[in-house]
This record gives sequence, structure tokens and C-alpha cells, in this order.
Amino acid sequence: MRSLNIAATGMLAQQMNVEVISNNIANMNTTGYKRQRAEFSDLLYQDQRRVGSNSSDQGTVVPSGIQLGLGVKPAAVYRIGEQGSIQMTDNSFDLAVNGKGLFQVELPSGETGYTRAGSFQLSADGDLVTPDGYLVQPGVTVPEDAVGVTVNANGEVWVDFDGQVQPQLVGQIELARFANEAGLEALGDNLFAETVASGQPAVGVPGSVGYGSVLQGAIESSNVDVVKEVTNMVAAQRAYEMNSRVISASDEMMQSVTQLR
Amino acid sequence: METTSYIALSRQATLRREMSMVANNMANLETPAYRGEGMMFTEYLAETQDGKTGKLSFVQDIGTVRDLQEGPMTRTENPLDLALRGTGYFVVETEDGPRYTRNGSFQLNEAGEIVNAAGNPVLDANNNPIAVPEASGLLEIAGDGTVSTDQGELAQIQLVEFENEQQLQKRANGLFEPREEQEVLPAEDVTVMQGMIEGSNVQGVVEMTRMIELVRSYQSASKIGEQEHERILRAVRTLVSQG
Repeated sequence: MRSLNIAATGMLAQQMNVEVISNNIANMNTTGYKRQRAEFSDLLYQDQRRVGSNSSDQGTVVPSGIQLGLGVKPAAVYRIGEQGSIQMTDNSFDLAVNGKGLFQVELPSGETGYTRAGSFQLSADGDLVTPDGYLVQPGVTVPEDAVGVTVNANGEVWVDFDGQVQPQLVGQIELARFANEAGLEALGDNLFAETVASGQPAVGVPGSVGYGSVLQGAIESSNVDVVKEVTNMVAAQRAYEMNSRVISASDEMMQSVTQLR
Repeated sequence: METTSYIALSRQATLRREMSMVANNMANLETPAYRGEGMMFTEYLAETQDGKTGKLSFVQDIGTVRDLQEGPMTRTENPLDLALRGTGYFVVETEDGPRYTRNGSFQLNEAGEIVNAAGNPVLDANNNPIAVPEASGLLEIAGDGTVSTDQGELAQIQLVEFENEQQLQKRANGLFEPREEQEVLPAEDVTVMQGMIEGSNVQGVVEMTRMIELVRSYQSASKIGEQEHERILRAVRTLVSQG
């Protein structure tokens, strides 16, 4: 019975859908998290009676043949890069990007990682680092005797010293943009890596054309809408159940065949 | 001799195929812009042995009917999710030539071109892929398919329609292929809605009832086969005992 396998593909697809939804819900409070969506597409079609084939030697053709579909498959799980809401924290090293672009981070492997989560801290040497201690690129070092740090919308880091009127420029934060942000590979820990699908990063100064501006003392919360996710989950669960009903119905049909003797 | 069983068998064979169609509809409950399908049956008449007492009627499935109703629209707020309201299709370039689809969940590829989930570029009115420049801000897509960024108008998404949509052949990934003689016409009555996705038009409840009916018909058809078998058996036994 084809319908058994077809319903199985449906159940597998819905299972994956629930997995993606539960990951979104689990990350509803993760800084800079972008929600994901599973997308499905129909599988191949088997021609039982081909459309347009000749039905007689008089040249008449079959107007609509029989095409039997073979189920469903997950087509993609992609990230929706919609801006998350900005949450004020008043922590001077919390930076949020309002608009497009990702912060660049030097990974322990030496490669560059990209992140939207700007909850940075200072290392023992005064370098700006991520919560995991990875250096923010290009490096920003805040001198030990600094009393205040200001990051402006263009990513310039200014430092105040005691007894000095003029603040001093100690660094410039840059943002990277990708042609296809959804094509970035998620590394976990809010980090992403460049891939062939994402294209080369285009690095620019925050606030310039096409790049978002930096907001100090704020973080970007995740763009997960819990109400939407729960509704999606209910729909996925119902679809799962219906596919399992198809399996039991096919089973019933086969049972009536075996009883034929 | 065994025509009764064969008539019941013709019903069972078609019901099995219809069942896989229902299963496929159910499996695609959440596939964007999926079109539900149903089977079309006809009678196949055959002469009886003596040629006088009417005709024998077998059942035959001769075609797939596609439900062309629009699926429900869901808001996703993703700027590259496009839904079509009204009759019309997007055009995507594949290895085998242009294909048509209503599934407008698009993305950008590494070259900045608008592509569908399988990576096939979406074509504009001049049959070219639509590339979005890197340093552009928000992407706006108007109701007529005009794509514009903050730097101005980019291109217009090609929208087409066909005279008889039922004749389109389904391909995997929500794509359709027209028959050779089918003319591709520019769509006249269609609106592109940005940030929306057209869902599958399969209604779970309807498919469930169809499925229940199908299982019962199958069972009654197999019952006919069973009873016919018993009738013949009885006939043989009676004849043997009399002889």
C-alpha cells in the first residue's frame, strides 16, 4: 500500500516541524535568536495515466491524467531575520544592532564568527569579549583607568578618563552583512559562520547605508512570537494525528484483504 | 464466469489508488500552496456473455482533479514570503526549463538573487533572475510584483496564468509544468501579498471523511468478492452432492 509510506512521510515531516517549533520556544529568551521555520514540499509524482498521451488513433488526448503523489519532504528550515525587539539593560557593554548586520567575533579556531547577540563583557586585559571570552573584531581595548565608556550609533567607542574633559576614541565596532543571511551556518552559542550559500561578508561601519546602527545599553531579544509558535504547534500536532489515522485506515483496508482467505 | 469478483476487484484497485491520493493530501497538510487532489471515476461497459441482458459495468479511474481553491493565508512577516491572491503563478527557472509555482516562500541565494526553497531563481517580467544589491535596506514588493529597495525600483516579478489549470502537470517541490500546447498568458487578476504565505488548501476534516468512506467501500467491495466465492463454492458442492 502506497498510502502507508505516504502517511509515514507526513508524520516524519510533522515531527520535524514540532522539533523546530520547540527549539523556537526553548529560545524565546535567547539574546539575538532568530526564529526558524520548517518548510515542506511535495515529493515526486507517479504518472499512472500520463496527461496529454493519446487516447485513440484519432489524435484525442487525455485531458487530465492520473498523477499519484508520493508524500511530503522537508524542503528547508530557514531563519527569519526579522528584527527582534530591543530591550534596555543599561549595561554599557550590551550592544544591540538596530537594522541589518552582525558583530564579528574571533573564534578559538582563528576563524571569524558572526553574532547578533551583543551582550559583551570586558576580559582581564580590558578587551571587549563575548560571554564565552571570544574577542570582538576589530578589537576594542578599554584602558584600565577609564571611568566611562560610550559607544555611539556609528560604533565608535569613546572612553572618559578622570580629570580629562575630552573623551578618547579607543576603537571602532564594525558590522558584517551577507547577501543571504539565512544561508549562514548556526554554530550554537548565538554564533554563525559564513558558508557558500551566505556569500562573502561585506563589512561596514554601523549607521552607514545598508547597515544598522548600534545601540548601547540594550540587547536585541529573540524574535520568537510565543503565541504564533503555540498555534503552529497545535496545527502540527493535528496534522500528525491525521496522518496516523491514514496509517490505521490503510491497515484496516489491508486487513479486509487478508480476511478474504 | 467470475465477472462479479472482477467487477468488485476493479472497484478495489481504484480505491487503493484513491487512498494513496488521500494519504498524499494529508501528508501535505502543511505544504505551502499545495493543491488537494481527487480522483475522477467513470464506468467501463462490457458486453455480457449472451450479449442480451444489458451491459456489465466496471469502474475505472481516468483522471486527477485538482482543487483550485486558494489556501488560507498566514502572516509570517518575512519580507520574502509572497502569497498570490487570485489566479496566477510565479515563474522559476529550473534545469528543465521554466516551471510555475504558487509557493512564494522565497529566499536570497549567495549571489543575492531571489530563489525558491529548492534554489531555483524567480524570474522577472524579462525572464531574468532578480538580484537584490547587497547594501540595500528593506525590500518592498508591491501588489503588482514590483520589487523595490530604498534605492528605487529593481524589477517586476513575472506573474502568469493558464487557460485550463487542470491540465498543468504536477512536479515535485510544488512546481507545475504546462503541456506543450498550453499557452502561458500574463496574469491579469492577481495580487502579490508580501509577508504572507498561502497554506495548503487541503481540509483535514474533509479528507478524514473521504478516508472513512473509502475504507468502508473497500471493505464492502471485498465482501462482495468473498460472498461470490462462497456462492460458487456452494454451487459446486450442491452440484457434486446431486451428481
